[in-house]
Amino acid sequence: MTTIPADRNDGETNRRLPLVITLLLPIALVNTLGFLTPVFNLLRMSFFEAQGTGAMQEVYGFATWQKIVADSFYAELLLNSVGTSLAITVLTLLCSYPIALYLHRSNGLWRSILLVLVIAPLLTSAVVRTYGWIVILSENGPINNVLAATGVGRMRLIFNQTGVMIGLTEILMPYMILALLAGFGRLELRVEEAAASLGASPLRVFRHIVLPLTLPGIALGSLLCFVLAVSSFITPKLLGGGRVFLLATEIYDQAIVTLNWPVASALSILILLIFGTALLLYTRALNPAA
Amino acid sequence: MPNDESGAGATSGEAFLSLRGLTKHYGDAVAVDNINLDVPKGQLVAFLGPSGCGKTTSLRMIAGLTPQSGGRIIVGGQDLTGVPAYKRDMGLVFQSYALFPHMSVERNVGFGLEMRNVARDEIAKRVRDAIALVHLTSMETRRPTALSGGQQQRVALARALVIRPSILLLDEPLSNLDAKLRDEMRKEIRDIQQRLGITAVFVTHDQTEALTMCDKVVVMNHGRLEQVGTPTELYEQPRTEFVAAFVGRMNRIRAHARNGGTEFAGQRLPVPAGVDGSVSIMMRPHRIAINPVASEEARCRIAGTIVRAVFVGDILQYEVDVTGQIVSVELATQGGESVLAPGAPVTLCWRPQDTYVFGASP
Repeated sequence: MTTIPADRNDGETNRRLPLVITLLLPIALVNTLGFLTPVFNLLRMSFFEAQGTGAMQEVYGFATWQKIVADSFYAELLLNSVGTSLAITVLTLLCSYPIALYLHRSNGLWRSILLVLVIAPLLTSAVVRTYGWIVILSENGPINNVLAATGVGRMRLIFNQTGVMIGLTEILMPYMILALLAGFGRLELRVEEAAASLGASPLRVFRHIVLPLTLPGIALGSLLCFVLAVSSFITPKLLGGGRVFLLATEIYDQAIVTLNWPVASALSILILLIFGTALLLYTRALNPAA
Repeated sequence: MPNDESGAGATSGEAFLSLRGLTKHYGDAVAVDNINLDVPKGQLVAFLGPSGCGKTTSLRMIAGLTPQSGGRIIVGGQDLTGVPAYKRDMGLVFQSYALFPHMSVERNVGFGLEMRNVARDEIAKRVRDAIALVHLTSMETRRPTALSGGQQQRVALARALVIRPSILLLDEPLSNLDAKLRDEMRKEIRDIQQRLGITAVFVTHDQTEALTMCDKVVVMNHGRLEQVGTPTELYEQPRTEFVAAFVGRMNRIRAHARNGGTEFAGQRLPVPAGVDGSVSIMMRPHRIAINPVASEEARCRIAGTIVRAVFVGDILQYEVDVTGQIVSVELATQGGESVLAPGAPVTLCWRPQDTYVFGASP
């Protein structure tokens, strides 16, 4: 009689542990097959030797990495990639923050309509939207026509850094707005009103209450958009017109055009390291004490 | 129809806070309708009414958080129309506390002083005093989320008081607290308000809070002032049927008035001048006696039948059928009394001055 409860207890703990594993197994499997293995393969490939024909010799060596470190082109590429992505992130944040704040404060049907408007661009592919930007920003596009008509003069808005930044900012805005909204949970109208009643002018309410309380959203949105900006290659390729060199476009060129897979692999690993750093900064931003 | 001068009629002493024709429209809907009120310095005034009566909207207009559609708000002789909330110098306590979640108790309380650019040493001192005033010493470094509801409300109170506001505005401050804590906070808020001699407006839907804490009670309904008076005045001399029914418990009996009088179960009652047609006769359940031993003179007296008897503990509740209408009667229990069974015939007695007769509202 007395052993029965003990047995049942053992049975329960024995059954509970496998349950956790059972539940984690599918995603662990998918991640191993779909992410860890390819990344490991990339890492391995980056030490292979590339030949002019595009063939790859399975001989381990540091030739590729040495080339990447020694050639200032790659350092410039890295700096330009990170710099452009940071600038795009800041631009996206500045454009999205007021919209997200307004959305956070609206309610009912109006809010639903606005949310649909925010999400709607995601229904069309980034390629289509990028072609749209080519039309809008081109030498004879509507913007330049207006600039010419008003006497400002035509500007080069496309196939350069400016075009890439404008295009990516617009493409990333829905993600930023949604991430900001997700992080605005702690901001309540009553709290802002309390601050106002205590003598804080609208500007000080923003600085002391709104900004600190929306920081989680800002951090989340910035991380997301930075990662998306660094890894995007279709929009920079189309809007950059081959004149803007970024890590992602270079990886694409090395893998598809030049067929130098070791270099492509090494640059991929480099991007992964950038992501890791961004994630670290994000965690730091949320827990300044840690 | 409640008359429009009911507010002005209750004026006593020199007014510190004055509302003159205060009105708020939302499109066609009228939330607050032409309110006139004078509050002397140092008084605690309750805005009492059911939800949607305009009491919170009135408070928000005083605070400057909701712009008024018409009328004026005057504090200490200064017209505040157009003055933004942050320049009004009022302490506001919200039902939801609305503490700053990213700041410690200390910084929450000190926020108003920081915004006033008060010197660091003085902020520290005044914050310490305010925290001691609400009995939260040793909680200074905690975040609001680490506090109970009652403690959060105390922080909100300290935060509003530390700036030495001209007026303290309290919007249902006790509604989110449990019954025992509410009792405690009621006494404490009243105590602090009297000790500091601060003028305060207290919005509530709870008549007990209004009656027990406040110097003066403003009863509101449908955006209008129903009556302004001391708790005793409202309870003993309700001027409208709404006030009579809303403040305290009340029986309401439908009857018909003719020639300056009405009749209920053979009992003739006087009716205020000008009232004709259908009327409501009202009396408080605990002011009615059942089967009195000694027959006193000048008493209203009617016969009925017990329908239901409920023993509540400190009181005994009877529902009595009187010619088809139910009259509630409450008797304080003394112990040892026998409970009358349903069906028992009884005589109900009450003093004529405890009877209120109101003409039917249009």
